[in-house]
Amino acid sequence: MSDFLRTAVELQVQADAIGLGAIFALMAVGIGLVFGVLRLVNFAYGQLIMAGGFALAFASERGWPVAVGIALCLVVVLALSLAMERVVFRPLRGQSPAVMLTATFAVAFLLQSIALIWFGPLGKTAVSLAQLNRPVSVGDVEIRKITIVAIVTAAVCLALLVLLLNRTSIGLHMRAAAMDFSTARLVGVRASLVSAVAVLLSGILAAVVAVLLTVQFPTVTPTYALRETILVLAGVVVGGMTRLVSATLGGFAIGYVSGVLAAALPSGQSQYLPSFVFGLVILVLLLRPGGVFTRGAGTVERV
Amino acid sequence: MRPRALLQLAGPIALVLGAVLVGLSVSRSTEIYVINALVSVAVVVALYVFVGNSGVLSFGHISFVAVGAWAAGVLSVPEQEKPAFMPFLFDFLRDTTVGNVPSLVIAGCVGGVFALLVGLPLMRLSGLAAGIATFAVLEITNNVLRYYEKIGPGLNTFSSVPETTDLEQAAIVALVVIVVAFAYQQSRFGRQLRATREDPAAARAVGVSIYRQRLVAFTLSGFLAGLAGGLYVHFLPINVDTVYLDLTFITLAMLVIGGATSLWGAVVGALSVSALDSVLANAENGLDVLGRTIEVPAGTRIVVVSALMALVLILRPSGLTGGRELSFDWLRRLRPAREAVE
Amino acid sequence: MSEPALRVSGLEVAYGGVAAVRGLSLEVAESEIVGLIGPNGAGKSTTLHAIMGLVPARGGDIALAGESIRGRAPESIARSGVALVPEGRRLFGELTVRENLELGFAAARGRDELAFVYDLFPVLRDFGKRQAGTLSGGQQQQLAIARALVARPSVLLLDEPSLGLAPTIVDLVFATLEAIRVRGLAILLVEQRAQRTVALADRTHVLANGELRLTLTRDDAADTDRMIAAYLS
Repeated sequence: MSDFLRTAVELQVQADAIGLGAIFALMAVGIGLVFGVLRLVNFAYGQLIMAGGFALAFASERGWPVAVGIALCLVVVLALSLAMERVVFRPLRGQSPAVMLTATFAVAFLLQSIALIWFGPLGKTAVSLAQLNRPVSVGDVEIRKITIVAIVTAAVCLALLVLLLNRTSIGLHMRAAAMDFSTARLVGVRASLVSAVAVLLSGILAAVVAVLLTVQFPTVTPTYALRETILVLAGVVVGGMTRLVSATLGGFAIGYVSGVLAAALPSGQSQYLPSFVFGLVILVLLLRPGGVFTRGAGTVERV
Repeated sequence: MRPRALLQLAGPIALVLGAVLVGLSVSRSTEIYVINALVSVAVVVALYVFVGNSGVLSFGHISFVAVGAWAAGVLSVPEQEKPAFMPFLFDFLRDTTVGNVPSLVIAGCVGGVFALLVGLPLMRLSGLAAGIATFAVLEITNNVLRYYEKIGPGLNTFSSVPETTDLEQAAIVALVVIVVAFAYQQSRFGRQLRATREDPAAARAVGVSIYRQRLVAFTLSGFLAGLAGGLYVHFLPINVDTVYLDLTFITLAMLVIGGATSLWGAVVGALSVSALDSVLANAENGLDVLGRTIEVPAGTRIVVVSALMALVLILRPSGLTGGRELSFDWLRRLRPAREAVE
Repeated sequence: MSEPALRVSGLEVAYGGVAAVRGLSLEVAESEIVGLIGPNGAGKSTTLHAIMGLVPARGGDIALAGESIRGRAPESIARSGVALVPEGRRLFGELTVRENLELGFAAARGRDELAFVYDLFPVLRDFGKRQAGTLSGGQQQQLAIARALVARPSVLLLDEPSLGLAPTIVDLVFATLEAIRVRGLAILLVEQRAQRTVALADRTHVLANGELRLTLTRDDAADTDRMIAAYLS
């Protein structure tokens, strides 16, 4: 036990865990935004990241400059996001969250299998930003540059998002739509506009996550980010799906806990990391099905 | 049994028998697809027993198939073959070998007990929380089966398992599962559970315990899924990834496409998607149609099935059958027209 | 003779096969207050919801200054200059008073300014940063009306604004309506309080079972209850 704790509090481990938490937090925001405004749980969010990853790999294989690769990634992810919104999200409006989860589950498999045909199971490699994976010395600890980049990027993105939501009129419209969609329309908020903006923002975040993830995991396969999406979805539901703040905290928490456990679990048990994490998920869902970070008991039915 | 109920049971049985007829009349290589379809029927009907009657989503049922397969597989492999790919087994597992039918029964029981244990805490949850929690069960089961080599082959593929799942056995098990599912849904338990799906508040008001009824259905469906897992392990060389996400997806797709709220829908979905899947699998290997060879890239099957599943959910969420059992209604609707003509 | 600000002709609305509004016709001109009263379930709220596009109209037409708005989305109707103060107010409780008002700008045509609503309802200026959910019932009603006015609509629909309010607040609300009418708004007021509505409005229609039964003028204010009883028995 003491070994576990000693490893857990090492700066190295903490930094990596916070870095992972930061990336998961961005994904959680992406999922939470779409849920808040469209009331839709997007299981296929990971495929957006996968598509972005493939775009980066495409550019990397051709030796294009990094900036071009990132731009391509952004374009591909945004296009796919908007297509999803039009073809899948809009017709599903009004269905129960469970139906939406299943439908987006199907879409996730659809996109995954298309990628499998297109790129094969071994995928492609995106190496342009590989130097960020190298460590830099902070005191007597070595922290990878990407960890710092991830944390800073996440902080900046979240800060910008907070500004957008709280200081602009479109942000106000989105918050109102998330609280009470029909009354928002009543006072003139444009349903299709706030939906599109939510999807777009969610897409931008997916693109950012794709860039950050490919530094640590340069091989992009059709199942890229699937495991992370499942974890983030679990984290979001655990944190509290109905509010953006609680969803983001849930995403961060599950990433952070995964990171700490991954490093601190003794080697005989480290392969059971998923069991520990998902076991915790079940435990928390039983204790607080409405969400850990929500005020009160949330709005989930218990029988 | 009343005629209406008789028809509701006869329909699915007839379909299964039809599949058997097809299986008897085709070549050995094609027969494999029919057997696979029948095993799918067993899994999908098991899934339906819980999801269809309770209205609660479960992503975790394949974990019951997995533990059933593991139990039947480990106990069926001849003793001398076990150390070859399962060197770390618990002693009692290594030293015990059972026959075919006992292994299936054990598979069902293991599935049922596991479902009971999982369901005790989980059946309090609904909606999204239930979906995530059952997904977590799937992940944990897969993780444990993958690395805990004392209870099975771990990462290795099951081999040397007697291939006893032939057309006859698959059909019998599929029929058993259908009859059990039917008996359940006609019973007081099934009807009470369906009441909670339709109107939870009203059901509670008349004293139905949602938790208890869900637990009963969950356990029963776990037993049936475990049974199907026993069939699987005696049919194909499976490993820990065969009973994981892909199978979860395809069985859920079959249920949704067929119609999640009826037994008829479950069977229709399982057989029709299996048929489509088989055709596409053949096409991936080069299919002869009218003298010309059609070949589609590997992986097209999942593209088509997932597109179909998404389309059904978007356009007709109640599935091909509308989620209803087979009934005489369409016959009755024809009759008045005929009388008018006279 | 120009078109009235709002004209409803032969409106038919049904909820799942049951007719809630049958063949209703009414008009509201600029600087006019028209009342709509009647028993519960008469179809008064449904009429307002249909005008606002929240429920589909099965038949008839709704015209805004001569142009039909039937079949359009609620936000589109709001942006064309119709504002609804819904029953129960439907404020965004977690947003501040100021944010609720700023939401009203979503449908605004012209300058975005709050000065004039602050003149009408000074309490809103003082409570700008408070969460809307913490306001009293009367203050919330003022906020709801203010939010509708911020968009500078040409037609204002109100669904039972006096519901659950103390008499002094009701006085304030009705006085405000009078002040707004003077500015040129066409106001359609749905109310339970028959007597006060008839006294305030230029015309009051009595609705029962989805049909218009009777039209009263201000002069009928004294005899109101008797007349209504006669027509609804």
